[in-house]
Amino acid sequence: MLLLIVMGAGVLVGSCFFPEQWKKGNHVLQTVATLVIIFAMGVMLGRKENFLKDLSSLGLASFIFFVIPTVLSMLVVYSLTEKYMNKRKKQTLEKKQKQKK
Amino acid sequence: MVLMAMMALVLGIFYGLSGMEWRLPDFLAAHSGWILYVLMFSVGISVGMHHGLLQKLREHHIKILIIPAGIIIASAIGGVFCSWITGYPLGQSIAAASGLGYYSFTGVAMNQIAGPEMGGIGFLSNLMREIFSFIVIPFAASRLNGYACIASAGATSEDTTLPMMIRYTDEETVVLSVINGILCSAAVPVLVPVFCGLS
Repeated sequence: MLLLIVMGAGVLVGSCFFPEQWKKGNHVLQTVATLVIIFAMGVMLGRKENFLKDLSSLGLASFIFFVIPTVLSMLVVYSLTEKYMNKRKKQTLEKKQKQKK
Repeated sequence: MVLMAMMALVLGIFYGLSGMEWRLPDFLAAHSGWILYVLMFSVGISVGMHHGLLQKLREHHIKILIIPAGIIIASAIGGVFCSWITGYPLGQSIAAASGLGYYSFTGVAMNQIAGPEMGGIGFLSNLMREIFSFIVIPFAASRLNGYACIASAGATSEDTTLPMMIRYTDEETVVLSVINGILCSAAVPVLVPVFCGLS
């Protein structure tokens, strides 16, 4: 919940006060923060007890349990959103293109 | 960016495994929560600078729920297939698949309810989902759509995989990604014990 509040504060700053010329700096900050968070996740995993042992003994079953639900999720959400959510996006784009012509 | 992200992950794992205790990496790892807040604020600024975005979100209305509902139902169905292939009990299999990438909770919960083997599978399969998302998001964003990226990330779409969303999708998808992550993260602590109890 706090994440949403922080993001909301950012939205407010971005829409009201943030100078356009700092946009690139904001983008760089996002890249650096992203890499640091990913690195920190790696450190936490590496420090987890039995991490390598677990990876080798239950690897195949875990792979099956990851790949099927993940791929199914992607396919289902892709199909549903193409049908119900992207339609309006596409219509808007088509309208814009027609207006340009 | 994918390469840099993977390098950061591998470097982090090696550092963690090495047992070294350097000041800067330890400080960063210990304060990653604060860095996430900085990132979210920065993302908020990007969203705020994108005028007309809120209007777009209002247009979707209740359809926003299509994404988390699709992820939860498809993952549970995936769990049924996994049970059929591996021979593990149906309820526990659906529970592992319903972790939606929330590996810390799923691993611990399944370890307590179903034992260490299923706990290990719950942990590793959901960890793989998170790592896989880092690799697949750039491709899914260009070949499928931004929403498919959210589906891959599952419950992690509000935190760890959010940076990849920011990088490879648009502001609208990033906001939907956060909403989806919150809803999925709230659902996992309910789904995993409930499905585990079915076995």
